[in-house]
Amino acid sequence: MKLPQSDRTVGNAGVLAILLVAAIVLMTMSAREGEQGMLHRTRKALQAATAPIASVGTWISTPVRAVTDWAGGLSVSRSEVDELQTQNEELRQRVAELEEARLENERLRTLVGFTEARKLEALGARVIARPTSSWESVIVIDRGTADGVEPGMPVLAPQGLLGQTVEVTEHSAKVRLIVDQRSGVAGMVQSTRAEGIVRGSVEGGLDMEYVSRETTVVAGDIVLTSGMGGVYPKGLLIGEVSKVDLPENALFSIIEVRPSARLQGVEEVIVLVGATSTADVGDGE
Amino acid sequence: MRRALPSMAAILAGTLLQVSIAPQIAIGGTVPNLLLLVTVTVALVEGSRAGAIGGFAAGLVFDLLGTGPVGAMAFVLALIGHLAGSLQEQMFAEGWRLPVSVVALASLLSEVAYWLVLWVNGAAPPFLATLSQVIVPSALYNGALALLVYPWLARLLRRERPVRTFSRLA
Repeated sequence: MKLPQSDRTVGNAGVLAILLVAAIVLMTMSAREGEQGMLHRTRKALQAATAPIASVGTWISTPVRAVTDWAGGLSVSRSEVDELQTQNEELRQRVAELEEARLENERLRTLVGFTEARKLEALGARVIARPTSSWESVIVIDRGTADGVEPGMPVLAPQGLLGQTVEVTEHSAKVRLIVDQRSGVAGMVQSTRAEGIVRGSVEGGLDMEYVSRETTVVAGDIVLTSGMGGVYPKGLLIGEVSKVDLPENALFSIIEVRPSARLQGVEEVIVLVGATSTADVGDGE
Repeated sequence: MRRALPSMAAILAGTLLQVSIAPQIAIGGTVPNLLLLVTVTVALVEGSRAGAIGGFAAGLVFDLLGTGPVGAMAFVLALIGHLAGSLQEQMFAEGWRLPVSVVALASLLSEVAYWLVLWVNGAAPPFLATLSQVIVPSALYNGALALLVYPWLARLLRRERPVRTFSRLA
């Protein structure tokens, strides 16, 4: 039996109302429940299930990126390239593999040196997934509780602080990058020791807040973690001041910080498993 | 139930692609929302009830894949699916320009609505920065992808009622 148009419209509106109420209930549950709540457990299960799929996407895209980079650097004619390609395919493949190994070695040495110098217990990890939404800067790494990773652990890239683990399954962990707008790190300006909170912004940069306008901060100053709050060890490189504004009636300076870590395309990271594990100062959840 | 299978398959495929492909084709931090494209296409083909239910399911998956509040995108996509689906019977032309325009507009609306939901949850970034950095770029990217996704997906979902004008695109 087919319902009249008006009945169908009312029925559809009823279905919509039920769904919207269900969504609101879920939002409330999500905000109230703890790490062991049903939604958090479902999210972890989905993360565990999709991690291999995400890593396949990363694996597939790696040669495409390499080819794009390679093609971008060409300055000879197409026919010459084709000829050379045929002659040297095997050799180039080998060279590419060796170069990749050398670069990886270099990056890992930098990471290991970084942590050794600070006597931090570190665990190497690979990035297996990149952000699935424009609304957040979260990556997934291939280490989880089985490797000793817990929520709240600092994560480093070769150039400096990258973020913090937020949701951890047995073999993977989500890392919220410091540029995520919900992230916040207790930081200090190296030269003046002025302390503040370094927050991520939706533009993909960092803003340092709560730095008194009486403190002199200039573009080019280095910003480090201050160690306050016990989340991140003191002295990790966050970035460099790129812009300072001093609004007339404001209590605090407006400081923009350029992150040191290369956030796009990062491949290997280090998790500081020995560091304190609590939520960072900017966590809005 | 059998009628819902293609839509369910489309949402599942959208989920797999959102996890594996979408992050790889991000442009300057703008990640396409393939689940939104699936939701609007399902809604335009199957109507507002299927659009709302499909949107809720797709949005819930999107929420669970991220780290934001669970239910936020489910709320938005259920609403968008319902609205887009209500246009189904008013669609006077079976070409691709109108549906693709609807997808682009739906994308814009959904991003604004998602910001509003985050705002209500106390987790929204500043609106103007979000508008220029997330909302508009996402709407443009999703709208552009709709040109590729909509004609094919609509054709798959509407097998019993083939649309001649889709052949221009698909």
